[in-house]
Amino acid sequence: MAIIGMLIAVPLVAAALLLVARDDSQRDPIAIVAAIIIAMLAALTAVTYLNAPAFFEVPVSVAELGTYAAAIIDVLLGFIILSYAIRYRNAWALGLGAVQLATAIWCGVLAFESTEHGATPLYIDNLSVIMVLIVGVVGSLICVYALGYMKDFQAHQGEGAPDRRHQFMALMFLFLSAMFIIVLSDNMDWMLAGWEITTVCSFLMIGYAQNEESKKSALLQINLNMIGGIAFHVAIILMHGAGVPLSLSALPAFAAIVGTERLVLPLMLLAVAGLVKAAQMPFHSWLLGAMVAPTPTSALLHSSTMVKAGVFLLVKLAPLFLMVPVASLMVVFIGGVTFLLCSFMAISQSNAKRVLAYSTIANLGLISACAGVGTPPAVWAAVFLIIFHTVSKSLLFLCVGTVEHRIGSRNIEDMDGLFSRLPRLTRFMMLGIMGMFVAPFGMLISKWATLVSFAETGNAPFLVMLAFGSAATFFFWAKWLGKLAGVPQRAENEEGGVHRTEWAAIGSVAVLLLLSCVALPLLSQGVVGPYLAGVYAEAPSLIDIDNLVIMVVIVVFIAIVLLTPWGRATKKKRVEVYLGGQCTDPDTRRYHGSMGRTMTSSKRNWYMEDIFGEPLITRIGVIISSAVLFVAFAVSLMLSPALLSVPMLFSERNVLLVGPGLPGILIGIVCFAIAAPIIGCLLDGLDRKLSARMQGRVGPRLLQPYYDVRKLLQKEQASVNAVDEAYITCALISCTVAGGMFVSGSNLLMCVFLVTLATLFVVIAAYSARSPFADTGADRECLQVMSYEPMLLIMTMGFFAATQSFDVVQLTRLPAPIVTVLPPIFAGLLFILTIKLRKSPFDLSYSHHAHQELVKGITTEMSGRTLAKVEIMHWCESVLFLMWVGMFFIWDSPLSGVVALVVVAAVWFFEIWIDNNFARVKWQTCLKLAWLVALVAGLVNLSYVLLTPFI
Amino acid sequence: MGYSSKSPWLIHYDGSSCNGCDIEVLDALTPLYDIERFGIINTGNPKHADIFLVTGSVNHQNIGVVQHIYEQMLEPKVVVACGVCACTGGVFRDCYNVLGGVDKAIPVDVYAPGCAIRPESIIDAVLEGVKVLDAKADRMRRGLPAVDPETAPAVSGSEAGASAAVNLAAKEATN
Repeated sequence: MAIIGMLIAVPLVAAALLLVARDDSQRDPIAIVAAIIIAMLAALTAVTYLNAPAFFEVPVSVAELGTYAAAIIDVLLGFIILSYAIRYRNAWALGLGAVQLATAIWCGVLAFESTEHGATPLYIDNLSVIMVLIVGVVGSLICVYALGYMKDFQAHQGEGAPDRRHQFMALMFLFLSAMFIIVLSDNMDWMLAGWEITTVCSFLMIGYAQNEESKKSALLQINLNMIGGIAFHVAIILMHGAGVPLSLSALPAFAAIVGTERLVLPLMLLAVAGLVKAAQMPFHSWLLGAMVAPTPTSALLHSSTMVKAGVFLLVKLAPLFLMVPVASLMVVFIGGVTFLLCSFMAISQSNAKRVLAYSTIANLGLISACAGVGTPPAVWAAVFLIIFHTVSKSLLFLCVGTVEHRIGSRNIEDMDGLFSRLPRLTRFMMLGIMGMFVAPFGMLISKWATLVSFAETGNAPFLVMLAFGSAATFFFWAKWLGKLAGVPQRAENEEGGVHRTEWAAIGSVAVLLLLSCVALPLLSQGVVGPYLAGVYAEAPSLIDIDNLVIMVVIVVFIAIVLLTPWGRATKKKRVEVYLGGQCTDPDTRRYHGSMGRTMTSSKRNWYMEDIFGEPLITRIGVIISSAVLFVAFAVSLMLSPALLSVPMLFSERNVLLVGPGLPGILIGIVCFAIAAPIIGCLLDGLDRKLSARMQGRVGPRLLQPYYDVRKLLQKEQASVNAVDEAYITCALISCTVAGGMFVSGSNLLMCVFLVTLATLFVVIAAYSARSPFADTGADRECLQVMSYEPMLLIMTMGFFAATQSFDVVQLTRLPAPIVTVLPPIFAGLLFILTIKLRKSPFDLSYSHHAHQELVKGITTEMSGRTLAKVEIMHWCESVLFLMWVGMFFIWDSPLSGVVALVVVAAVWFFEIWIDNNFARVKWQTCLKLAWLVALVAGLVNLSYVLLTPFI
Repeated sequence: MGYSSKSPWLIHYDGSSCNGCDIEVLDALTPLYDIERFGIINTGNPKHADIFLVTGSVNHQNIGVVQHIYEQMLEPKVVVACGVCACTGGVFRDCYNVLGGVDKAIPVDVYAPGCAIRPESIIDAVLEGVKVLDAKADRMRRGLPAVDPETAPAVSGSEAGASAAVNLAAKEATN
């Protein structure tokens, strides 16, 4: 209890001290010591209360006093908002502020009248422990980071600018205190006070620069958040009126005993409050505006605190959503739409902070949707998404903030060549980006659970949204990653001026990111599992522990590749990039043009504004989500409460964990590593032979691909930079592991993720050359991934729906092959197989047809051994993809192997036929067709398999 | 027999050819001649290619390009001068802007004459070139520099260089 009190009090004291300390020499030690104490208190809290949920009993008088204080703070904040509304002459703020103040006073009166103050206003469980750790550790690290950052910020303001940094730092610590109140309060009056403090604090922090833009953004933030605040107040008033206890953790029990009839409307309102705080459509614009604030604000608001308060409330309410379908559907729908559309919009952004903002909103959408579903796997996913999003995103915000001060821009285009200019920062940034979307990192594991939970509620449209949103996610992250990965030959290291506090914060968050990934099995078993067991009396087991171990190994491996000099081929001969034989200066990509001019080849990132343009998609999103809100409220007001509290339909799908253990997987990897290159090589040779015959030629020898690779291995070793071969080696390894998992009968979803990881490594290797040809190839490869990824995810979803498992070995226990229930998905797979196998008409990134691709696209700058590895990887991939096809025809019969082989042979022949009969199409056609096929096949097939259990 | 000779990948560069030889190079890629029988692929990328096929003479404009592409190719590599212009400058050799054959710019390993060169000659020349490839690969395996200083063709068409290189014209005459 004392720890909890300290946790709330220490930041408050620190804030008061910082408000007084106006000098750097005083501010730095105060902030650093306070941050260390807070972090240690958070750790202590975690150690003490982990798996020991507790209500904290306080004397009634104290509880009463606390409630009164909360009510008074709430009313005071109402007055503060009103005063700002008047000062800024903003009608909306004035109107909303007045309503907010009225509701706050009403709430206060009710609180004072009420005799029920509850003897246990504070409560802690594992979810709160996680949130305390997030706020206490990541939040205080951001505060430390702010010290150095604000020095630069002040310096950029110019001479004579008023120094209000003491206010800023005080606000940050006040914010932490308010967050602790939110996550530790059981009494909703207390929580509301914290809630409103965060709103006002972030309003002041966003408006810190006090220029027109920041004022506008701050007002937008406060106006939208007041909608949430008013919803929260009204919910509490209604709960008072209905005699519902104002105890957050007691609500599910109350609902279970008394029924949810009196809870429908308060729940809807609380959900709205959560959605607004979590910046969901149609309220998302405040988070975008908040990007004008100094970076520590963005980092604090968008990664670890403000928005997490919103989703924290939603996760707390998750058990109730199961009982009130209308609220559940509203939250799921808004979350899903937000995830999809904001992922799309992130593609069109060139401002790094806006990309981060859209990705934040998108991920919060996913978390909200998971909370809205409310089943144990969904909450599991939501909690993990919260953890991993926090660490990855705060790392990214901190890096972008420091980079901005170094290079004077937050535009992604200006981040060209950072790999050498700011080597350490860039590597941390790459780690953060990979943490956001790459396979073994936590985010994707959480998506896995999301998938299961949507499947349980028969939510085919949301599964499809998830698939498309994830594909877009890959695209916008990969192209940014590519920009960062470019290695210039000559560059000065400009890292000198980065403050030590900034390094400390960035380094610590990076370590946290890796630690949370490595500790994932522990977190799942020891923290989140018990929490779910406490709330639902069951803990889902979604992923085999062996798979988790493999993931951890891969995370460590990626960290080594990124952060250490491993694999750097420093001895290799260094060659210039290819510029059509006209190169004058390869580093600046200058070449001799026609008429004796010197030209510079430049490349921008690919924003696709005409497809994913912000204005149009925002409009669509706002219209859809507002409509959903209105319809949901209309329904809940019109229909009788009895009708509304019919529990959500859901068919529980326990994930069958039938895959082999670690030894089995290892044997599979070894087998695949030996057999796949041999088979793939022969298939490739046969492919070339067959193609030649189709064209009326004799064609090369059957072993030609083998000779090619042997020759490449003999070539002189040279490279445009020291890293590309290391990336290609990683790609080859991931591909082999993916294949090994498949042949050993282990997890299909992980197999798909690892193949994507392999592709990502090839893409980074190509981008690292900074060659116009390789860049174009890499861009096109990203586009291809975006085109086929939805179908692949839909395939795994279909697989899960049909087999109740992600493990491939489950196929051999089925009475009938899964193609009998998944014919549209099978057809869709055949369609995208053409893209995956790089067959014409979809061989955009790289083609073996000389008439379609002269300089060899993505592999332009690779040579010798590196190119040989790419070839071998293609062989392995082809074998793996053909096995995916064969998988549809495996069932519990020895005959099935033969059937599968025949089908695979036929499909393979068909692909070669397509390859030789269609000319390459434009990328627009590729994207359009692949997405259309995925959309139709996905919706039709998933609806069918997911709704069957309900009929 | 090494692997280099089994998988010679080409890059084709048109110097100042009248396009006659270029058409013949493309001809060699058609199903009629089907050079993929020998594992030959037209890569169009110097970093992937083993054989540099040059048509047309070298002039002031393109000498830098020819040299640059040659430099970007990795050992073992071979240069084949395709057609009489690439060998010596041909009928254009007295033009004010023409420097002469490809050997004015880079060392040429195989001279394949003809105006325009016949596809059979191209195939023949490439297959002569792969022998040089193999020899170079063999030297590299033994840890020696790929280019043998004694037998290497010289640049600027010195007599010694030209005679050391395989001269298909002589071979054609005996056929």
